[in-house]
Amino acid sequence: MINSSLSYALPFKKPKKVWNSRFSWSDIPIYLCFIVFALITIYPFWYVLVGSFNTGSDYLKGGIFIWPREFTFANFEYVLLDLRLYKAFGVTIARTILTTSLSTIFTAMIAYSMSIHGTPGRKIAYWINIFTMFFGGGLIPYFLLLVNLGFYNSFFVYVIPGMYSVFNMLIFSNFFSGISKDYRESALIDGASEFTIIFRIYFPISKAVFATVALWTAVGCWNSYYDTMLYTSDANLWTLQYYLMTIVKQLNLPPEIMGGRTFGDEISAQTVSNAAIIISSVIILCFYPLISKTFKKGQMMGAIK
Amino acid sequence: MMSDFHKKVNDFIISNSDQLIHNVSMNSVERFRQDYSPKFKFKNLLSNKAQLIFLISLGVLFLLIFSYVPLFGLLLAFKDGDNKINVFNTLFNGEWVGFQNFSNVFKDYNFPDVLKNTVCLNTLMLFINFPAPIIFALFLNEIKHKKLRNIILNICIFPTFISWMTFGGIFLSLLDTNTGILNPILNFFHIGDPANPINFGEPQYFWATIIITSLIKGTGWGSIIYSAAITNINPEIYEAAEIDGAGRFRVMLKITLPAMLPTITVFFLLSIGGLLGNNFEQFYVFQNAINKSTGEVLATYSFTQGISYKRYSFTTALGIIQSFVSLLLLLGANTISKKITGKGVY
Repeated sequence: MINSSLSYALPFKKPKKVWNSRFSWSDIPIYLCFIVFALITIYPFWYVLVGSFNTGSDYLKGGIFIWPREFTFANFEYVLLDLRLYKAFGVTIARTILTTSLSTIFTAMIAYSMSIHGTPGRKIAYWINIFTMFFGGGLIPYFLLLVNLGFYNSFFVYVIPGMYSVFNMLIFSNFFSGISKDYRESALIDGASEFTIIFRIYFPISKAVFATVALWTAVGCWNSYYDTMLYTSDANLWTLQYYLMTIVKQLNLPPEIMGGRTFGDEISAQTVSNAAIIISSVIILCFYPLISKTFKKGQMMGAIK
Repeated sequence: MMSDFHKKVNDFIISNSDQLIHNVSMNSVERFRQDYSPKFKFKNLLSNKAQLIFLISLGVLFLLIFSYVPLFGLLLAFKDGDNKINVFNTLFNGEWVGFQNFSNVFKDYNFPDVLKNTVCLNTLMLFINFPAPIIFALFLNEIKHKKLRNIILNICIFPTFISWMTFGGIFLSLLDTNTGILNPILNFFHIGDPANPINFGEPQYFWATIIITSLIKGTGWGSIIYSAAITNINPEIYEAAEIDGAGRFRVMLKITLPAMLPTITVFFLLSIGGLLGNNFEQFYVFQNAINKSTGEVLATYSFTQGISYKRYSFTTALGIIQSFVSLLLLLGANTISKKITGKGVY
């Protein structure tokens, strides 16, 4: 009794957290395993970074693992002076921004209408949506459809078919149905239209879900090259990842550096490919703090649901 | 006596009584709306219910075009559309060939190999890559140092956001016969011959490459959803277990693991449904001219047959078989899981 009353009287002192207070020897292998795993994840990037700063002819001798032996910027120069890189960059940025914004808003609006009880035809629409998750036409019918709609070799093949995603719709409507009905009803009494309710009430409330879905869509857009392979044959529509593929898989390289032969000793196919890899992953690295923060939050939310 | 003015007011009220009563009966909101809202606004064109119907039908329309119209294209599997320049003509007017294309698939020279690669590799991945994030989350929970835990998690999640082309390119250069690092490491442990470095592009190394790269790229990310399940556990349960004298591994097995079980069940069922599917982008990076015998799976095979060789009907038949089997697997697994654990995907 006295003790407890005393502790109230004393000024509150945050107990200093000693992290190894429950440390035991059985922790050591666990820590070691994780540190090794983290190193295995990080080291490949370092390896490629080092390789991209080494001269091509020297790199081919092997053994460049920790630090470049003959330092050069020539590999980056080669990639950065290639005009196709910038074109691919432009296409990728355009498609990422367009698809992400359109798809997120469009999908969320439909998810809103699906989450409101009393929307006529909601049940039928729900099953129409669910069915497509389990059964689809497959590669060829879909390909032929897009060709028939005139999407082949058109920029819009990157945007329009990805405008609506049933999976994201389910995530959104799951979240929306958790929002109290009172918000919507009071807005209705004030004479708001459904669009006003969506944009003024539902979207601001569910910012976190929006950020998660939008970022996921954006990363997906940024990273895909399959659609470029399938639906385009025009070099003007190359995306960044496709451009990277031509370098990594050594397609369309000038004959001087094909098959590992050197190009004036400065660069080789492999070091150029290393430089291109570094350029493409640095961009993700720049956005990484934002990405990881948003995703961890979003993923946690999804799990609680 | 009533004044002139009063008389006029009285007359006005009597003559306009209908209108006035109407005005009073209108609620204030409606009156406000009528008076102040501009005439032509979207909400005046459509009632709220109509707006909802409009939105829902937009979604349905999109799916009708992009998901249901291709279903019609499945008919191509029953017609002879291989190498036809005008496939649409074949689709609409071509003659029925029955199950010709399906038997072609089973008679195909490469099909047994492709099927074996797909099923075996995916089963292997179900046993190795599926439990990996669960184990990762279980043991990450044991790291009590919060900062270290965060650093490790942030590092291990990073590859998820890198494209397969970038990530695969990195591994291609790590595994390179002459300049890669894996051969020197193996030589360090006296495996292999330094004069005769191993070429990891050969067929026998393909599966290992796929499994290990998937592990590095996906484990950290996959663990997050399980970690979320762990954070929902009431800490009092842990305290009670500690007081009862439960050891660390007993706590892990008896408390943490059961808490993750619902999540595990759902993901396990989904991965059984995906037993015939593979990530095209991952496989395409690691495929080369010599490792097709172990590296060709259904996803890449339908790409080469359907898009490169334009065997439209053949690939459509292949796709139908694939999605039917996947559906059956998912339904079967779901029924079994419902019987055993009482939980399913739907």
